[in-house]
Amino acid sequence: MPTVLALDVSLSMSRPVFQQDRSEEPPTVRQLAIKGIHALLNHIHHNCKLEFAALAVYSSMYEILGSFTRDFDQLKSRLASLAEYDKSCVETALLGVKAVVAEEWGSGTACQVIIISDGSLGVGDSSLRQLVAGSRLHLPFSFPCRLDVVLLGERAELERRGAPAAFQRLVELSGGEGAVHTPEPPLSAKSTLALFRRLAETNYAPFSGVLHCGGLSSRVTLCPPPQTYNRTRDFEAVKRTVSPELRICGFLSVADVASPPAFSRHLVLPAPSESGDAPGEPCSEEDENARTACFCVLLHGGLKRENAAALVNVGEDWYGIVYSWADNKKKANLMLSLFEPGTNVLPWLGDFTNLGPAVPGAPSPFPIKVSRKRSYQQTCVTWTRQSGLHSDVQKVLRHARKLPDKTQNFYKELNRLRSAALSFGFYQVLESVAVILERECTLLPGNAHPDCALQLTHAATALRHPEHRQPGKPIQPLSTRFQQGS
Amino acid sequence: MSYPLSHKTVFVLDCSPAMERPCGHQFEMDSLSKGRSSGLIPLAPVTKTMWTCAVEAAVEYCRIVWDIYPSARLIRLIANGAQAVSVNDWTAADQHLTALMQQLAGVMGGVRSAGSQHSLHAGLAAALHALGEPSEAQRADRAADAAAKVMNRGRVVVVSQLADDGQARRLREWFADALLQHNRTADGAAGRLTVHSCELVLVSVHPDTAECPVTPRPPAPLSAILSGSVVTAKAGTQLAPMMMNLVLSHYELASTTVTGIPMKEEQNSGSSANYDVELLHPAKAYESILQGSPADHAHLRTRRDGCEYETITLKWCTPRTSSAELHQCTSASRVTPVDVNSRPSSCLTNFLLSGRAVMLEMPRRSGGKFVSHMLAAHGGEIFMHALGSGRSVLEDPPSVSEGAGGRVTDYRITEFGRLVSDNRLAPGEASEEGGVPLHAALERLARHTRVWPMTLSESCLAALPSLDSLTALLVKDSLSTDEVLECKKAVYNLVSMEARHEPLPVTTSGARGRGVKREEQYRALWSELEALVRAHCRSDGHQAALECVLECRSQGRAAEERLGLDQAMEELDRCGAPVQDSPLSPPPTKRWRRDRPPAQLSLLEMWNQRVDADNALKRLEFSGRLNGGDNNIVKLYAKLDKDKGDDVKK
Repeated sequence: MPTVLALDVSLSMSRPVFQQDRSEEPPTVRQLAIKGIHALLNHIHHNCKLEFAALAVYSSMYEILGSFTRDFDQLKSRLASLAEYDKSCVETALLGVKAVVAEEWGSGTACQVIIISDGSLGVGDSSLRQLVAGSRLHLPFSFPCRLDVVLLGERAELERRGAPAAFQRLVELSGGEGAVHTPEPPLSAKSTLALFRRLAETNYAPFSGVLHCGGLSSRVTLCPPPQTYNRTRDFEAVKRTVSPELRICGFLSVADVASPPAFSRHLVLPAPSESGDAPGEPCSEEDENARTACFCVLLHGGLKRENAAALVNVGEDWYGIVYSWADNKKKANLMLSLFEPGTNVLPWLGDFTNLGPAVPGAPSPFPIKVSRKRSYQQTCVTWTRQSGLHSDVQKVLRHARKLPDKTQNFYKELNRLRSAALSFGFYQVLESVAVILERECTLLPGNAHPDCALQLTHAATALRHPEHRQPGKPIQPLSTRFQQGS
Repeated sequence: MSYPLSHKTVFVLDCSPAMERPCGHQFEMDSLSKGRSSGLIPLAPVTKTMWTCAVEAAVEYCRIVWDIYPSARLIRLIANGAQAVSVNDWTAADQHLTALMQQLAGVMGGVRSAGSQHSLHAGLAAALHALGEPSEAQRADRAADAAAKVMNRGRVVVVSQLADDGQARRLREWFADALLQHNRTADGAAGRLTVHSCELVLVSVHPDTAECPVTPRPPAPLSAILSGSVVTAKAGTQLAPMMMNLVLSHYELASTTVTGIPMKEEQNSGSSANYDVELLHPAKAYESILQGSPADHAHLRTRRDGCEYETITLKWCTPRTSSAELHQCTSASRVTPVDVNSRPSSCLTNFLLSGRAVMLEMPRRSGGKFVSHMLAAHGGEIFMHALGSGRSVLEDPPSVSEGAGGRVTDYRITEFGRLVSDNRLAPGEASEEGGVPLHAALERLARHTRVWPMTLSESCLAALPSLDSLTALLVKDSLSTDEVLECKKAVYNLVSMEARHEPLPVTTSGARGRGVKREEQYRALWSELEALVRAHCRSDGHQAALECVLECRSQGRAAEERLGLDQAMEELDRCGAPVQDSPLSPPPTKRWRRDRPPAQLSLLEMWNQRVDADNALKRLEFSGRLNGGDNNIVKLYAKLDKDKGDDVKK
């Protein structure tokens, strides 16, 4: 997930840090922080190549030094020329983070937020304590996030001031994912780097797994690494993590899976070979990798050719699809869309465990039809608005005017109206329709078929008859001697 | 397992004489047969009773809920007459509009016959009783684990004409007591569930012409497990929209108005006008798009007349034709039209049900617009897909050709495509052993990929199209006698190919270059074939195929050995008789097989022989040549020479 680094640039960050080794000039807290950020960015660059990072600095104001980019050198260069500002205020840091994330990703993308400070809580009205007490912090963010706070100071000193506890409260307000980190005493370049390295290793651990397709397989990495699913749903609380074993169960055509909703999406990239994870690997080895056949490439080609998607089991009762995806038309790659955990999350495919081998050549069994029709698919009756009632009476009248050709349709519509009126207890409408039918009868032209008058009168009488106020007694057409001849 | 409050809802519809009074709102009927003739006595307008209004509103509530949540959101109706009559049950069969309409018609006659005024207590008690009955899901839960605590929650909606605030208060108090009483007795009794939390919604209706005697109260807790609210509505005009407000808040729904739907005019089919259709759907359809401050999307929201909720207006985009494309979709929610039978609504739903998808555009605050949703039907249900908008973290991804294996060019893509289409999934039946169909699919995939070279160059077998039928047969679970014969035919075909010394198709890019001898290729092919058949040996039929391969292979080896012997003899000859092998020696003819021509004939001679033989069949030979003697040379026009000679002699 994209990272926002928020660095405290208040005056207190420029304090020199006492070093036991007096041979060198003592570094300032800010220099230590910058070293740490460099180490973190280097780690992300090597392990998660496609990650984005943004850089903000804050004091009583905030400034976005670099919005989300994959060019970390650009961010590093911005760090080289920083001015000193006034007091520290976490509120502005949060505002800055919120602004930069909202502008780039909206609210759907989870972000990693790292606040780097010397642990000064600020003063007066804008101090962290006041902000928490007055619940003036804009937390939680509108986007899912993990908030980590790095406090660069001597641990004992920080605790004396109550900084870790205060910032811990911030983490909790943001949603509870994340932690407050302090370097091992004594504070030095070494301990700072160790802290950032640890943070990088836990938060930016690349996913490593194997994509299986029966006897074929490939070591893969997912980018961005999949997050743990931890949500309370309507009927249960669900917590799932993606297993390192991704198993293809079979294939579905892209038209049949029909743009399913995804919990998250990940590029499926072949994992580099075991020996090749050292940075700056020799060019020939990379070349060698590219020239060794890899299942991912074959799978991609096959799926693209067949316009198909592979159903993948990624954990207990958790499924996704792998398919060919192109950002622009030139660069296509394998993509994994993870569904919501569960086996019955896509109604039009049915329960995943219920999917078995298809008979080759058989027509597509998808989408699975609903067992009972929805209201918009059947002729349901709603008379809450006048137009609904009118259109149903109109239907009866339309058929009435085409008697005797439409006798069956006339009685079908009439009975539909009758049974709805009975369900709603709306007896007055039956009387009203009877009157309308009688009026139609009087308006019949002289050359009308004799059956018209007979059926209309019969229907009007039947509508008023108590027998037809019973639900199981539909009105039957009057059998007349004219019907045979017509 | 926890159940949300909306899992169970009970409607108590009062049908006391007060509710039988007309609602005061008139439906005009005269216009229906107007235009036919003038001078008729106008038709009287019709008026619904308040009871009819209440039933209609409740049915509309059910319609919306069951369209959007086809299961797990249950509603029961109780008619409160002289005694309480339960209209339907918690069973899945009863939770459907068609069933409900029939049941309503069935009970209607019975409850209406009671004449005198009666209290709502019977209805409320019946509602509590209904909440105590386990739903099918809860029953299944308890059956699976008797000790499991089933969180049982529900909502009671009472529709009645309340006299004053005092009656509302007394009803609430009575219900709170009854709830406690119910929970005390329910604990012990088998099959009756404790109601852990409940919401009581009192809907007071009154005729449109009258003033409302009751003051509405917002939802507020009444006790630890009960909360309550009072809403009021004019029966004729306000009850239906008010019920819409309730259903939206009870089930966390949102409203979207699709605007600009082009539709042919009914009267004038040549022209078309634009219409709007309002849809309801779970609010999560906007979850990822409309977060942040409300001011950011205030421009999207409008309030419809008479409704308390807001609707978000999205614009119809004329659909593109390509449907086989995966959109980046974050959620898919069922929708239902608000006015289900109106012409624009049914036009839209029929358009979608016919299989086409419609994209919806959302205007940006800053100007411009983007495609935010897609409407599409799947299997008879209409869904609103929320599409990913904004920047993606996956932007500018590397191409598959840039990664590992990207420079390899001879993948067996076509064959893998066949594997994909052979391993498609379809809904299946559980097997008798109790295995789920998915396991069968996994097993089949494993069978199909047991031996599967990824590139052409790593396999001789793969490059030989004539063996495709064999591979296709071998992956089967078992082989019939005919299929075994097919396999054998393929193997024999290979034997004859080898006997004819047919060259094998060799890929140029692979490691096996042109330099490899044909014999070696065949040897590799045979061992690959044996490995393939051996790997698939899972039935008697496969065993028969394997035996066939092994047999043919051993014969092939014998032939190879014989060939080796011949070579050895030749070499032996050469080494053993070096003196005879001088240029002067006669050519070694003894090892020529009989059917081959003797070596001393030149190619020309052989050709001539053939041509002569052919010609002999076609025409008569010139008699001169036939008598021509040894050299087949005959002097032409011998007589001329002879006459000349005679003249000279003369």
